[in-house]
Amino acid sequence: MTYEHDPLTRRVLESLVPVICPPEVMELGLGADIVDHVALTMSAVPPLFRKGLVLGLATYDVAALAWLPGRGRRAHQLPPELAERYYERWEHGLTPVGHELAKAVGQLIKLGCYEHPVMQERLGYRPQQWIEEVKRRRLTVYADDVRKAEAAILAPDPLRPPVKKAKERV
Amino acid sequence: MVALPKTAVQQGRIPDRVSTRATIHGDTVYDADVVIVGSGAGGATLAAELAECGLDVVMIEEGRYYTTRDFTADASGMIRQLYRDGGASMAIGDPPVLFQEGRAVGGSTVVNGGMSWRTPERILERWRREAGLANIEMRDMEAYFARVEKRINVRHQDPESIGHDNALLKQGADAKGWRVIPNLRNQVHCPGSNNCAFGCPTGAKQSALVSYVPRALHFGARLLSDVKVDKILMHGKRAIGVSGHVVGDDERRSHKIVVRAKLVVSACGAIQTPALLARSGIRTPSGQLGKNLSLHPNVKLVATFDEPVRGWEGVHQAYQVREFEGEGLLFAAVNIPPGVLAMTTNGRGAELGRLMADYDKMVVAGMLCEDTATGRVRTINGRPQAFYQLAQFDAEKLIRGVALLSELLFEAGARSIITPFAHVPALTSHDDTRTLYDRTIKRSQMEVVTVHMMGTAAMGQDRTRAVTDDHGFVHDADRLMVCDASLFPTPIGVNPMETIMALATRAAAHVLDNLSTYQG
Repeated sequence: MTYEHDPLTRRVLESLVPVICPPEVMELGLGADIVDHVALTMSAVPPLFRKGLVLGLATYDVAALAWLPGRGRRAHQLPPELAERYYERWEHGLTPVGHELAKAVGQLIKLGCYEHPVMQERLGYRPQQWIEEVKRRRLTVYADDVRKAEAAILAPDPLRPPVKKAKERV
Repeated sequence: MVALPKTAVQQGRIPDRVSTRATIHGDTVYDADVVIVGSGAGGATLAAELAECGLDVVMIEEGRYYTTRDFTADASGMIRQLYRDGGASMAIGDPPVLFQEGRAVGGSTVVNGGMSWRTPERILERWRREAGLANIEMRDMEAYFARVEKRINVRHQDPESIGHDNALLKQGADAKGWRVIPNLRNQVHCPGSNNCAFGCPTGAKQSALVSYVPRALHFGARLLSDVKVDKILMHGKRAIGVSGHVVGDDERRSHKIVVRAKLVVSACGAIQTPALLARSGIRTPSGQLGKNLSLHPNVKLVATFDEPVRGWEGVHQAYQVREFEGEGLLFAAVNIPPGVLAMTTNGRGAELGRLMADYDKMVVAGMLCEDTATGRVRTINGRPQAFYQLAQFDAEKLIRGVALLSELLFEAGARSIITPFAHVPALTSHDDTRTLYDRTIKRSQMEVVTVHMMGTAAMGQDRTRAVTDDHGFVHDADRLMVCDASLFPTPIGVNPMETIMALATRAAAHVLDNLSTYQG
């Protein structure tokens, strides 16, 4: 499923990145990438869940109009400190649905944040390098065993009846 | 010179006898002796066993045919491709339980941890006693287990593949004097790339994708991937085939597919099988179809150490702590990529940054709980929806398990532990673990996940209590069989793959012994 954020969803998500992610994310300019990653994840989830998220984010945005400290601004227009407080209200369960929405959106953003190669590099997390190294080692040290095992996968079983008329018997 | 593996899938090409959405160019009707819906632990095993004996088998898989070369450390990319619903399937209940199903050729064996354990003897005995299953005791099953273990190469890990996270788990268990055993895994010199859950990039894990599927194809089976089965075709009570469609780009319905067969097998897992049967109008006299869902609730702890651990370097779950097996609890160390770990922790902002800064010093330990409650799978608008309510007894067992596992991790030198319970502060000492027993921890505070769904088309002699008979044939239907974890009458307390494969091998032997039944 191909999914792209509509402009409003993107704006709301962009405003939530600094709330959810560690401060260096904004310093490194990763916000847009993270929001793009959220779109990729949303493309894979069940359609009903995806629609619920989009609707929930729109509600989250509009509901800020009625939040007094927000002074009539939508969520994506709130300055950082108020954006933080506003999210916190949802996170701590304005309603169970609101709580679940805040949690789900937070999870998607956190996933996008720490799946970002720049963030992974900062953690020293280089799994592909490790994979290539051990893959090479396996095929060097155990080449014969690997070959034998692969041959065994296709080897006929001597205890099985020979391949013959069984097809016709069914 | 490094020798390259030989099988097609490891060379990055799709073998002959496999049709995909790229090669199916119109509505198509196939004829076969046996059609099997699903290509995972049950479906692929059954297909290989039957094809080897000359039956004309067609396997149908909704997911795509990926090859070993497709699997990388891009965790979220792999999740989107290899897991149904991007890994976001949820059993509704208190707490909601996130569950994962593989959706690719090879099924969930492509994304499981590669643990290969025989069904515990006490479970087989329970099945005999409670479900009235015949010839299911260990002495009856021995040959089937042995056959599967040979086929998927069940072994202990080579020592050099074991990483520091698992060494710490063992160290903690040894210090506590608890029973800890090396895991048995289906692998050929697995080097510990720790990417099991995202597809094995070395080809070492002997998933169905690189074992039973190629074997089935080699002996003449055909495989249709990217094909979703909509329903089983029935003529009266007799199953006569399946109909479905090619899953096109963006999940659109493409060409129609019909496979006519003399034996129809549903092997698409404990969530999809009851939905497929229900969509097809199958009614069983027991009314138990979709009920009896158990799922081995899993929780995880994140322990931070002072020393570098680099949990991604070394095999997934090298050991299992079996000390509390009698209580239905198993512990193991499982590395989780940073994105997935971050999304399942409670912190955010700077707090999240501080936590994740220690990612390379973390041990993620998981726990499997043999559950006592059962849920159900309902079919709503043709789609399965799981419902599951964690029993209070199991919730208490999870709390006890978390406390015990925390003790182990502190013994191994952990400086702090994040529990799977919301609003419970990180534990920093043995004393903190004891407070877990005194706290009121509601089920809704628990972060529970699972990959072991079982029991929704359970076997049993009594057609008024079970969905299928001893070998998986659906009661009151003709030539319709189930061959996946749906068959389990009860949870099994260990990783289910080998049990599914052994039951499939047993079912194949039964089919071959009774071929005349399916004539005509």
